[in-house]
Amino acid sequence: MTRPLDSKPHLVKRFRRETPLALVATRGGLILAIICVLIFGALSSPMFLTSGNFLNVLTSMSIIGIIVVGMTFVLVVGGLADLSVPATIACGAILSLALQPILGAIPAFVLAIALAGLCGLVSGVLVGYVGINPIIATLGVGTIVLGIVQSLVGGVIVYGTNPATADFVKGRILGIPVLVLIFAVVAIAGHLVLSRSFWGRWTMATGGNPVTAEASAVPVRVVRAGAFVLTGLCGGLSGALLGLTLQSARPLVGVGYEFSAITAVVVGGISISGGSGSVPRAIIGLLFVQLLTNVMVLNGVRTPDQGFVLGLLIAAAVALDLALRRRGIA
Amino acid sequence: MLWSLKRFVRYRVFIILAATLIVAAFVVPGFLRLNTLALGLDRGASIGLIAIGMTVLLIARQIDLSVGSIFGLCGIISVMLQPTLGVLPAAFVGVLAGAVLGAINGLLTVVFRINSLVATLATMLAFRAIAHWLTESQPVPGTDIMLSITLSNVYLEIFTLRSILFVGLILCLHAWLTLTVAGRNLFAVGSNPEAATASGISPDFTVFLSFIFAGFLAGLAGALQSLTTNTGSPMFGSEILVVIIAAVVVGGTRIEGGKGSALGTLGGILTITALTTAMEFQSIPAYVQQVVMGSILILLVVLDRTIRPEAHARAKTSTQQKMP
Repeated sequence: MTRPLDSKPHLVKRFRRETPLALVATRGGLILAIICVLIFGALSSPMFLTSGNFLNVLTSMSIIGIIVVGMTFVLVVGGLADLSVPATIACGAILSLALQPILGAIPAFVLAIALAGLCGLVSGVLVGYVGINPIIATLGVGTIVLGIVQSLVGGVIVYGTNPATADFVKGRILGIPVLVLIFAVVAIAGHLVLSRSFWGRWTMATGGNPVTAEASAVPVRVVRAGAFVLTGLCGGLSGALLGLTLQSARPLVGVGYEFSAITAVVVGGISISGGSGSVPRAIIGLLFVQLLTNVMVLNGVRTPDQGFVLGLLIAAAVALDLALRRRGIA
Repeated sequence: MLWSLKRFVRYRVFIILAATLIVAAFVVPGFLRLNTLALGLDRGASIGLIAIGMTVLLIARQIDLSVGSIFGLCGIISVMLQPTLGVLPAAFVGVLAGAVLGAINGLLTVVFRINSLVATLATMLAFRAIAHWLTESQPVPGTDIMLSITLSNVYLEIFTLRSILFVGLILCLHAWLTLTVAGRNLFAVGSNPEAATASGISPDFTVFLSFIFAGFLAGLAGALQSLTTNTGSPMFGSEILVVIIAAVVVGGTRIEGGKGSALGTLGGILTITALTTAMEFQSIPAYVQQVVMGSILILLVVLDRTIRPEAHARAKTSTQQKMP
């Protein structure tokens, strides 16, 4: 008796390509790359292997990392990318500082995040229910929200009035910076939701094959909208923390964060076509990008050149993903 | 109610343009004077040239998010090469660079099969980074300041060189889209690539050429902008993407592909330009203008999704449920 695969030689060939080596290369390649960066950093700059430097990397990673968690959901659900992140960051940063004198620190913080979540809800409804292309929808909503936030405060830089909040955010609990703790909580919660909960399964199913998912009674529209609400909330939280840390917020404070987050997620090996991925992989991608940037900064590479390297990195990651996908490995 | 909305969708360019012009004429004194209109048209020509390329791409069911970066980068190239090559050859190289950058986008989309939204998102970053890298993030001055004055000359009371070029090109595009076989093939590729392949049209080739065309026009607009202002700046074109897509969509071209018209885009550009000029004369701050542009874009895209003028478009909904 022949096994079913033997009658289909091309399939055998396809499956045989998934050698253990290729699997290790896709999963472990990033870890290897991180180790290379660590070694190179240690050799090239005496500042690199200091605890102060690592703390800096971790802190700046935390602000983007919160967004990366949301962006992971957007990519996994097949939503391509959320370009309204700069607007939700500005919303969180500007409103959490501007509303402080009126409402008090904590209500202002909560309200700013809630409003950023509302922006995410608008994008989510446009994408999930109306069916607009996510990039166009979030581009438009981002433009509107950024304009509204700016006109609320008159288009100026907002300064903080409550230094105690800055001290709290910049402080440490048990030696760990508060920002890093918040990031860890968000990341673990995001990971558990995506990998262990019904919502995560729905997200994967919707991203993998929306038609089958819908046929299996997955509320596809809600799940799609939910990813954008989540990214809105994450952007708001990240922006509010950024605002409290800096004690000032420009309207363009969040520009560039959307691309950093997308880069991290894509470099982490999460396919832009949706349907697979996990929060830890995205965070490993973020770690790699952050360490690489840190090494470049320590070695005096200019900012435009850094942008160039990161652009190449994202292109290479997307191309690699597509190449592996075509061979049926990833 | 639905019937009248469908009517509105079909004739919206004229309705919106007329409404904008009437309101602007009432609100802004002297808005309909020829020199105001000439100024507006000149500014509209810059985004209009890019919108021509975007119209072609959207009809072919693709999009180019990097046009703003190409615009800036080609302007820089045509200014930076002036001392070595002379003014006109430098401008020529700048425009050519636009076509090359467009070809890169086309290559990523057609050969590497990356979704054009994602591919051009990446190239948008990369091209902008190159622009910053070339100029060290500083504006670059040109060599011949008199040329910018020549370029700003007003002919026939209303046209500048740029706006003549824009209006001429968009009329050519209209003729190309409606009268030639190649133009009809473009619609075929955009509305149903499989059917187009079956009828002997190569979607890949069409899409590739569309990207080159869009890049070329963005480069042309960038070179003209830099010559007119006698500067190349890495910040040029960083905020025009939403405006351009809004203008094209106002003109009735659909983001989902297969539908659009050159005259519609002309109407859309005139509307957006009239709106911008009117708002600036009323000294409305830039961020409020951004809200207006974003709202126009979102409202019309939603309208396009929910109300379909043609009955046969309804059949397409089932295939388009999957997110693009």
